[in-house]
Amino acid sequence: MSKLATIAPPARTWQDISQEVNPRAMSKAGRRRRLGALLKIGGGILLAATAAWGALEVYRVVAAPPQKLAAAGTEVPLKDVTLVTDGVLDHAWVVRTLALPKNASLMTLDLYALRARLLADGQVCAAVLTRNFPATLAVSLQERAPVARLMAQIGAAAPRALLVARDGVVYDGEDYAPALLNSLPWLDGVRLVRSGRGFAPIDGMETVADLLATARNQAEPLYRSFQVVSLAHLAADGELLVRTKEIPEVTFNTRDDFFRQLARLDYVLDLARTQPDKPLKSVNLADGLQVPVALETNLAAPPAVRVAAPAPDGGTFVPLHLNHIAQRDF
Amino acid sequence: MISNTRIIGAVEIGTTKITVLAGELTRARELSIIGVGEAPAHGIIKGAVMDYKAASEATHSALLAAEQSAGTRVDEIYLAQTGGHLEGFENEASVNVSAADNTVSALDTETVCRLAMSKELPEGRIVVHHIRRPFRLDGRLVPEPEHLVGRRLDVSYWTVHGLESKVADNTHVINGFNVRVTKLILSSLASGALITSAEERHNGVLALDIGGGTTDYVLYRDGSAYKTGVLAVGGGHLTNDLALGLRVQQAQAEALKVRHGRGVVQARDRKEKVMLIGDYSVGDREFPRQTIEQITSARVWEIFEVVRKKLGASFTPEKIPAGVVLTGGTAKLPGITEAAAKVFGAPARLGEAPGWVSENLRDPGYSTALGLLHFTLSDQAGRAAPRRRGGILSKLFATA
Repeated sequence: MSKLATIAPPARTWQDISQEVNPRAMSKAGRRRRLGALLKIGGGILLAATAAWGALEVYRVVAAPPQKLAAAGTEVPLKDVTLVTDGVLDHAWVVRTLALPKNASLMTLDLYALRARLLADGQVCAAVLTRNFPATLAVSLQERAPVARLMAQIGAAAPRALLVARDGVVYDGEDYAPALLNSLPWLDGVRLVRSGRGFAPIDGMETVADLLATARNQAEPLYRSFQVVSLAHLAADGELLVRTKEIPEVTFNTRDDFFRQLARLDYVLDLARTQPDKPLKSVNLADGLQVPVALETNLAAPPAVRVAAPAPDGGTFVPLHLNHIAQRDF
Repeated sequence: MISNTRIIGAVEIGTTKITVLAGELTRARELSIIGVGEAPAHGIIKGAVMDYKAASEATHSALLAAEQSAGTRVDEIYLAQTGGHLEGFENEASVNVSAADNTVSALDTETVCRLAMSKELPEGRIVVHHIRRPFRLDGRLVPEPEHLVGRRLDVSYWTVHGLESKVADNTHVINGFNVRVTKLILSSLASGALITSAEERHNGVLALDIGGGTTDYVLYRDGSAYKTGVLAVGGGHLTNDLALGLRVQQAQAEALKVRHGRGVVQARDRKEKVMLIGDYSVGDREFPRQTIEQITSARVWEIFEVVRKKLGASFTPEKIPAGVVLTGGTAKLPGITEAAAKVFGAPARLGEAPGWVSENLRDPGYSTALGLLHFTLSDQAGRAAPRRRGGILSKLFATA
C-alpha cells in the first residue's frame, strides 16, 4: 500500500478564500481602479485588433499591389461586358447603348458618362457600372415595368405606341414580348409634354397603376376586358373612366377601394349577362353602394336614376342593392 | 513594452493605524521602497475588521497615499495578518526511508511533509501558515535531507490557523481596492524576520511586536520559527488602564502614556508630580509620576508574563541565547526592554531595522510593513528563474 494513500486531504488555507468582491462592496477608489483596469483591457484588445487589421491590410497590399492593378486596367483591353437586370433588356441592347470604343481598357472608361447613356432610355430606372479587373465591365440594371400604353404622334412622323410606367415615365420600350404589350390597356385623356428628348412624366399614373394592378391580381377576366383608361376626369373629379369590351364607360372613384368597386362591377356584369338583349351602356362605381347603370336601349330613356330609387316597370334601369357583395369572391 | 518590475504594496491593517509601503521589486531581486502611506485605523478592533466600510475607507486612503507617494499603481499586495483568533499547533510526522540503501529521496521528504501538514481543522477555520521546522534524520538536525543516508526521517510543522470569516474580511478589504492579496503573512513573522538576524534565529531568539491592539510574538530556534502567537492585548490597553486609573479621557491618557509611561517603575519619590497638559491651562492637573509608571509597567509586565506562559515548556532562557527583541509602536515605551529582560530572564533589546531602511522608516511602527517587503525578496528567491529577463526585444537581440 502506498504511503500517500493514508494522508488526509490538506486543510483549507487562506488561498481558498475567494478574492472576488462585488463592485458594490468596493470603495470609490476601488471602483475607479476597476474601471481603469477594464478600460486598459478593452484598449489592449482594441490595439491588438487594430494591429491585426493593419497587418492584414499590409498583407493585402503586398499580395496585390495597387500599381499592378492600375497597370492591368490601363494595359489590358476590355474583353467582356456582363449584364444583370431585373427586366427584359438584353446584352446586345447594353452593348449598343454603351457604344464602347474598340480596344478600350477598363481604366479609360468614363463610367459616369456610360451610366448617363443607359439612363437616357426611360426603360432604365437605375444603373450600376463596376470595373471587374482585369478586363470586365459589369452592368447592373433596374428596369421600369409598363403599366399602360399610349399612342403618340410627334410632328409629321407616323403615330407610334409608347409605354407608361407606374411613375408616369413615358418610354419606347424594348425587347418586351408582344403578348405583354397587347395585354396593356391604352391611356386616354392625357396630354404629353415634351421634356428634353422625351416626355415629362404623366401625373396620376400611380392611381391608374393601382387600379390596373388590383384588377390584374384580383379579377383577371375584368382586367383582360379593359381597353382604355381615361384620365380626363382624374384631376377634376377624382374619377377614372375605363372602357371595357362589354361596357363603353365604367367610372371608378379613386377615393374608394378599387377592390370593392371591381367586385360591384363584376356583380353588375353577372346580372347584365342574364339580360343579353339589354347591353350595358355605362356603369358608375363612383357613388359608393349605389351603382347607377345605363343600358343600351331604343326606348326613350329618362335620365339616369339612382339605383336606390324605385325603378319604372320593365324599365331601362336595374335597381341593385349591393350591400351583400362587399366581399365578392371572383 | 513588458515591465521588468513589480510594484508591491505591503499592508499592515493595525488597530490604531494602517501602514502601507510601496516597493518596486526588480527581477534582479532589488527592492526599492518608493512610497509610504498611512492612515488612522477605523473599524478595526484588536486586529479584526468590525466595520467593513470604515476599515475599507481607512485602508484605501492609506493605499492611495502610498500610490500617490510612489507615483505609480500597486500591482499586488502582501498583507499582514494578526488578531486574537489566530492559534497554532505543532504536528509531527515520521517515515522510514524507503530506499534499500537508505538514501533519502524526494518522495520521502514529500511524504513526511504531507503527513505533517495533513491535520484537519475545526469547522470555520483555515490555515494561515504551515511553518516547517528542520528535518531530523535519525535524530540529527538536517536542513535538507535529500540524498543523505538514514533510516528514519522526522519533521514537524507549526501550523497557524484562524477564523475563516476574519481572514476573509481582511482580504476583502484589500480586494475592495481592486487588487489581489498575493501573500498573507503573519505579522509576527514579518516583523520578526526584519528585526532579527539569521544568526540570532539560528541560535534562538524571541521577537515581540507590541502594537496598539495586539501583541504578536515568534520564537525562533534552529533557524526557523518554532512557535508563534497573538495576544489580543497591546498598547491601547496601557492607555485604557491609565484612563481608568487616573480618570482622564482616552486622548489625555494616551498623551500621559507617551510622555511619562514606562515599562518599569523608575520614580522613587511618591510626591513627584507631572502635569496632565503641562501649560497650567484650565483642566490641567497634576498626577503622581510613580502612579503612571506603576500602571503602565503593570500592564507591560502582564503582557510579557502571558507571552511566557503561552510559550510554555518550549521557552526557557537558555533556549534563547540571542535574547528578546521588541518592536512595534508600544516598544518605544521607555524601560520596556528592562521589563522584558526581567520577565523572560534573558537579554532584551529594541529591534532595529536593517541598514538599508531609510531614516524616516526606522521607527518600530514600520517593522511589520518593512518585514512584509523583506518577505517579497525571499519569495522572489524561491521562484523559478525568470523567463523574460530583459523582455522580448532584448531576448531577440541576445540570440541574434
